[in-house]
Amino acid sequence: MLGLPALATPEEMQAAMARITGGANVRRGRVKLQLPPLVENGNSVEFSVIVDSPMTETDYVKAIHVFTEKNPQPYVINAYLGPRAGRARITTRTRLADSQTVHAVAELSDGSFWSDSVSVVVTLSACIGNLV
Amino acid sequence: MADAIVSVPASARPGEVVEIRALVRHPMETGFRHTQTGERIPRNIITQFECSYLGAEVFRATLHPSITANPMLVFALRATFSGRIEFRWSGDNGFSVTESATISVA
Amino acid sequence: METINLNRRSFLVSSAVAGGGLALGLQLPFGITAAQAAETTPEINAWVVIKPDDSVVIRVARSEMGQGTITGLAQLVVEELECDWSKVSTEYPTPGENLKRNRVWQSYSTGGSRGIRTSHDYVRRGGAAARMMLMQAAADQWKVPVNQLTVNKGVIAHGASGRKVTYGKVAAAAAKLTPPDEKAIKLKDPKSWKVIGKPMKRFGTVDKVTGRQVYGADLKLPGMVNATIMECPVFGGKLKSFDAAKVTGMKGVKQVLRVGDTAVAVVADTWWHAKKALDALPVEWDFGDNVKVSSASIAEVLKAGLEAPQAFVGNKAGDIQSAIKGAAKTIDAVYEYPYQNHAPMEPMNATARYTPDRCEVWVPTQDGEASFAAALEASGLTADKCEVYKIDLGGGFGRRGAFQDYVKQAVLIAKQMPGTPVKLLWSREEDMRQGRYHPVMQCKLTGSFDSANNLTGLHMRLSGQSILASVRPAIVEKAGGKDPLTFQGVADSGEHSIGYTFPNLLIDHAMRNPHVPPGFWRGVNINQNAVFIECFMDELAHAAGQDPLEFRRKFMAQHPRNLGVLNAVAERIGWSKPAPKGRFRGLAQMKAFDSFVAAACEISVDSTGNKVKVHRIVAATDPGYAVNPAQIERQIAGSFVYGLSALFMQECTVKDGRIEQDNFHVYNSMRIAQMPKVESIIMPTGGPIWGGIGEPTICVAAPAVLNAYFKATGKRLRSVPLKNQGIELV
Repeated sequence: MLGLPALATPEEMQAAMARITGGANVRRGRVKLQLPPLVENGNSVEFSVIVDSPMTETDYVKAIHVFTEKNPQPYVINAYLGPRAGRARITTRTRLADSQTVHAVAELSDGSFWSDSVSVVVTLSACIGNLV
Repeated sequence: MADAIVSVPASARPGEVVEIRALVRHPMETGFRHTQTGERIPRNIITQFECSYLGAEVFRATLHPSITANPMLVFALRATFSGRIEFRWSGDNGFSVTESATISVA
Repeated sequence: METINLNRRSFLVSSAVAGGGLALGLQLPFGITAAQAAETTPEINAWVVIKPDDSVVIRVARSEMGQGTITGLAQLVVEELECDWSKVSTEYPTPGENLKRNRVWQSYSTGGSRGIRTSHDYVRRGGAAARMMLMQAAADQWKVPVNQLTVNKGVIAHGASGRKVTYGKVAAAAAKLTPPDEKAIKLKDPKSWKVIGKPMKRFGTVDKVTGRQVYGADLKLPGMVNATIMECPVFGGKLKSFDAAKVTGMKGVKQVLRVGDTAVAVVADTWWHAKKALDALPVEWDFGDNVKVSSASIAEVLKAGLEAPQAFVGNKAGDIQSAIKGAAKTIDAVYEYPYQNHAPMEPMNATARYTPDRCEVWVPTQDGEASFAAALEASGLTADKCEVYKIDLGGGFGRRGAFQDYVKQAVLIAKQMPGTPVKLLWSREEDMRQGRYHPVMQCKLTGSFDSANNLTGLHMRLSGQSILASVRPAIVEKAGGKDPLTFQGVADSGEHSIGYTFPNLLIDHAMRNPHVPPGFWRGVNINQNAVFIECFMDELAHAAGQDPLEFRRKFMAQHPRNLGVLNAVAERIGWSKPAPKGRFRGLAQMKAFDSFVAAACEISVDSTGNKVKVHRIVAATDPGYAVNPAQIERQIAGSFVYGLSALFMQECTVKDGRIEQDNFHVYNSMRIAQMPKVESIIMPTGGPIWGGIGEPTICVAAPAVLNAYFKATGKRLRSVPLKNQGIELV
């Protein structure tokens, strides 16, 4: 029971992002993370990541990575696309442990990284106050 | 539900980008939970999803414990020729499920 | 069906046309007054709107459910704003506006007794900032330094020149100024409060008494249809099928709809027609395995938990095992507390209108943002297309904050009838059957004594349901599987810390979660924990041959505020003097929601031991600060009605997997004649922390009465409700 991180921290998330990007510069833009701004309990939150890219053989999205700041561990999904995907858009569902910011990072075929982030408020967390 | 359900358009025009939905039945036990009597419930998740079309990979994903139970994935592929689309989920404890569909392109 | 453009102005006008009456329209939240404010009169900041006629509108984020929070919150703002109280009214900014403005009004959550205590600082700052801007506007107009100005009741004065101006005249100019820096805002010393701490008359009382108040259940919108619903009565079961053909011909019936996997709804012209059709509808359920569960089977599981080797530790000191092993004598007792339902006078309801471009919901809710989140999820639309309008609640008590099931249902129904406003109102039976129940709990307490009759240790083993394991599992996960909320009132630290220091102590919880969905009932876990510990303290005192008050004091040297309220009720009830003939006394204390509360009562019991009369009940509360003492008195009294009704008359039992109690004939409540006069001692002692009012006091009435009952009869009551033991309140 001991030894598990209670919840990840923004610092751990930054470290996870750095591992993925190899420390490269991540610019905001070209990526749209669609996530509701308010959720009741965070048990199942649908989200989409859309990247502005022509998805041609020479200009495409290689990967989309999604991270959270406060779930027990920082990774959500690593999606690998490519020109055959045709469109850089993924949708799935995540758990959110608490109100936090979710980050999406796209790696493009030219080696550049782009990101977007959305803050989500879990309304139930106000209900219970400072417990832990 | 069945082990997996995939949704692929029956037909498409060449070059058309189509939406693919893939859903698989799985508890996605995070490994962070405990029983009522305090025992940690071991992690049991799907870790990999692969989709190939005409024998070549078009989409792949690594899933982590944050993904909800019965994971749903929606992604796209560019239709080129008629043929099979193969789906494979794999994960902890040797979990392995495959599904396939065909798309007719004309 | 014609499309009705339901923007704020037009629906109010149409409701007048539809026979609703302009009076009805004016009571609706965020109605014409707000529209006018937004368009013609300036907002000084998010919290304060000042109109040219000097009237003031205070924005309130929390929800009014009879607890008086909007009046208290307005008092906080007005104290710093220095306007004329007689010109003040309040309004609810919508959750959608809060989102658009980056949550400028912060949390909307009204629960956990936190409406005032978690927002008092920033709402006062909002009032102070507005005052500073208004005064600066006058200073600019007069071309004098602002520190030469004074203000009283919304009138700014420049002593040197004798000039005066009212807030209304400088509001427009003030609205254009840059808000002051956070650091420049200094709040008033509590000693100079003129509005906070005063028994200001509550907003809305006249409307409630005269029937003008519009509740969600009363709402009428143009073109609205009425719906009622039934969800599978066995929790966890599913809806299999229903035979709509049998009822579609009934009078007024418009639709018979599946709602999700678990419920069926009937939509009709009137609610009564919908209800009659739903009652007549043949429905097949797939109940699932939980149909086998009963109160008896649950009790068996909980009983086993009392002796189980594993339990989550909530509070610990010293070594209880050694204390018990080495004791000269030990005593133990087993207590139990049942499932309870919120049962607010207004059953669950929500009104929704859906089109692919807009989803609007009108709902009595304890958290407008939670309702918004529920509407988002159920509608599938983006946030910019959704809105929620808050309506004052006919009772919340914890049912209408964390749980928004009725909002999701209303939206799911409205989605099947796009463009039509659908008012979903549950029947009382549905409200009783689909509660979020106060969790069932048993408790075994063991006390150890040395040969001199000193208490050396206490073990309190709780066995029963965790609320958070079901409602907020992330917190339980973070705590290694433990639910910290189970220990409210007996925790080792924080807002619910125990009011005693024992040399050896263990408080632990064997978690046993039945399938019944749990929720936050007013007071939450302090209700049973106060019965468990405060009744057992009396048992321990008796075993040691000591007076219950003297016995307690021995363990309270490190708990001066607990001692303060306990001594206050003891003194008021006359504990040191003999009670009148035939009357017997009991007392209890606890810290909860950062407030310190105690109760002492005087009862008489007839010769059979079955008829109990509560003649006096005294309550003391130290919440740190008392914003509205009159309102606090009412909250105390109301909490005692709630807590004593539960003690004597209320329980929810399980049979065939479902809750048996379906209406007030089997889930009764006190009547005025049974209600004792409540003597309130409000004794705020200040300090850095503000305590809550809505919930803490509910927990001390029951143990005080139970302790008095022992004094009267020599019999210990360890199981609630007392009606099960043939005891009634007269």
